[in-house]
Amino acid sequence: MNKLKIAFIILLGIIFFSACEKDDICVAGDTPLLVIRFYDETDTTNTKNVTNLRVVGLDQTTTVNTFSDRSSADSLAVPLRPSTTSTTYLLIANSADEDEVEIGNTDILTINHETKEVFVSRACGFIANYENLTPSLDTDTDNWIKNIEVISSTVENSESAHVKIYH
Amino acid sequence: MKLYRQPLKTQNQPMLKYTISILFLLCFFNGWAQDDTINLNPQDSIVHKQTYGLRVGVDLSRLIISQSSEGYTGLEIVGDYRLKQKLYIAVELGNEKKTKQEDLYNFTTSGSYAKLGIDYNTYENWYGMNNSIFIGGRYAISSFNQTLNNFQYFDSNRYWNPDTFPNGSTEAVEFDGLAASWLEFVFGLKAELFTNLYLGGSVRIGFLVNNKEAEEFPNLFVPGFNKVTDDSKFGIGYNYSLTYMIPLYKKANKKKEEEIENEQ
Repeated sequence: MNKLKIAFIILLGIIFFSACEKDDICVAGDTPLLVIRFYDETDTTNTKNVTNLRVVGLDQTTTVNTFSDRSSADSLAVPLRPSTTSTTYLLIANSADEDEVEIGNTDILTINHETKEVFVSRACGFIANYENLTPSLDTDTDNWIKNIEVISSTVENSESAHVKIYH
Repeated sequence: MKLYRQPLKTQNQPMLKYTISILFLLCFFNGWAQDDTINLNPQDSIVHKQTYGLRVGVDLSRLIISQSSEGYTGLEIVGDYRLKQKLYIAVELGNEKKTKQEDLYNFTTSGSYAKLGIDYNTYENWYGMNNSIFIGGRYAISSFNQTLNNFQYFDSNRYWNPDTFPNGSTEAVEFDGLAASWLEFVFGLKAELFTNLYLGGSVRIGFLVNNKEAEEFPNLFVPGFNKVTDDSKFGIGYNYSLTYMIPLYKKANKKKEEEIENEQ
């Protein structure tokens, strides 16, 4: 019967330890953001800040939550929409209000993409990765964005730039 | 011959005394003592012959959960065959279908499994009892498919979808030809309720040896193995069995046979 006691204790031990599940909280991954970097249109190897940049999603009432509004920066990370095939942002350079009317230069950038689901873990489930990025810019009389270049057409992480914008 | 073996000699010393005492008695009751001397082997009647046979039944827990919970149907047939006094060959055959709603996705696993192994009874039964507290091992295989019914994308950035997660596909995708094999450690009990009818229960710890899964969607549940945990090969299962023993033959305990031999 002594052997049985030992076996029972071992069994209890294994049950206790196997009950410690770490997979109830999602920590394993997240849907990546699209990273855009701004370059100088004349000196194409140098980054160049966009002054007082404001970024708003099309038909959204608030500015994008990943960028501090009307700040100057040479890079930008924005979320794409996994459920659709394109995401459109209004990029406003030199953004300012005059009599509550936006006087900055607004360019409309649409990123077309394919969405691929990637299973991360039991708790997280699926995240989205994007493939075949093809940006397009609405042309107007006064585009501040001069050129767009795709560096990486797949978005699997937010660590390096996917799109270069020359201005 | 046997009498000259050293250990037997010492064991037989009390017997010799006994015999001598009987001889004294016989001196006085010569008339009817003759019958007694022929019947000098009273151990025969003490030998308890144990029943050997095939025990078959079902897992009650899977039947009850099938009835009580939505999204699960399962059946497990259990059986064992007594090889030796303490050793049994044990088999479990089953089929399970389970639908699980996780936070952001819903999937159904459906398939069959077979487990083969041994049980070793560690319980010393009292006279006439047939209960067991056993440990055992199994090798198990399962063949199944998994269907991803629907999912939403996990995206911690809520700019485009402040209230909900963006919808992924609502079209079910089936992943076929999945398989797994594992080793199982079993600890359990079986108690005889009525003659030949047993109620038992067991806990099982599985260790995945082989797990063939789809690249897009891993095996989150394996029929017979239960839940598969991220980055772990261990799984926990249990069953409650109701079994009937079909008696085939009776055999005396080996240990007692030796004792009788010694006595003779």
